[in-house]
Amino acid sequence: MTNKGLKIKEAADFLGISIDTLRRWDNNGKLKSLRGIQGGHRRYSWAQLEEFLTSSGVDLAKKWVRNKTGERPADIFYCSDSSIFQGRLYKLRTALSKNQEIEAIFSLLISVVGEIGDNSFGHNLGNWPDVIGIFFSYDVKNRVIVLADRGQGVFKTLKRVRPELPDDSEALKVAFTEIVSGRAPESRGNGLKYVRAVIENNPISLSFQSGAAELNLDKNNSTLKIKKAKDPFRGCLAVIKF
Amino acid sequence: MVIDIKKFGAILTSRQLGKEALAAFLPNFNNLPEEEKVYVNFSGVDVFSPSWGDEFLTPLHKRFGGRLILKKTSNASASASIEILEEANSIKFRVE
Repeated sequence: MTNKGLKIKEAADFLGISIDTLRRWDNNGKLKSLRGIQGGHRRYSWAQLEEFLTSSGVDLAKKWVRNKTGERPADIFYCSDSSIFQGRLYKLRTALSKNQEIEAIFSLLISVVGEIGDNSFGHNLGNWPDVIGIFFSYDVKNRVIVLADRGQGVFKTLKRVRPELPDDSEALKVAFTEIVSGRAPESRGNGLKYVRAVIENNPISLSFQSGAAELNLDKNNSTLKIKKAKDPFRGCLAVIKF
Repeated sequence: MVIDIKKFGAILTSRQLGKEALAAFLPNFNNLPEEEKVYVNFSGVDVFSPSWGDEFLTPLHKRFGGRLILKKTSNASASASIEILEEANSIKFRVE
């Protein structure tokens, strides 16, 4: 990096994408470089890239979790272990605490995020198929939080203790409604039930996909809406809106 | 005895950390008189989750039963976590 900003290779590395993609985004206006302003080679500022990433978290997570090959996400999103995730929760707390409108759901929202992230680590420890850890992004301005993992998925995890489970849809239903642990006999298995209970009484909504099933919980509602997902993938993707 | 939960951190959300918290705290009970009540105070905690609570509060409930008393809290995540722990473990915490 120079005082003129990041070079295209540095910016591409930071975003976790290829140089070609970044050139294409510059040409089609998705992410304009500073070249138009300053002339010469493409340059990017940190602030510009961070703002772009924050507002693109959901799209990037969806792309990352569906990629055929597992690649480490951009550092700004990547929690390789639970201690890093815990640290990012403190950052989320700071960001959310500036918004007084959500004071009533502040602690609930962070606890829901914590439960979903902790689930990813707990259920995949020692069994990550490719990338270890989770993708975690939040956009306080647009009130959206996304968590994703390229782990084994809910169906495979629960099938170990519930061999009769037929598919992803049923696995999601069980995960959100029954006290069952994918790590039995170790006591576990109340995290997603908690998430549902919180959403039932609060203005928080959730879309949770794992495998070929997508579950939706609307704000202030406990009704599970489970449907077949358009684009199946192995791990989990949670999008929380508040 | 009063356990001030805030001394374990402001965000208490993972099983791993709940387990560690209990392991670190257990020696404090070594000389606890048999009749003494154990109060749990949530004030000063920002975020509490059932995962952390299941590793800390549930074993304490098993050990102390009615001698374990959770102080009433206005923290929404602590209240919601206590409810789900009671349901999941078929227990009832004493709350005062």
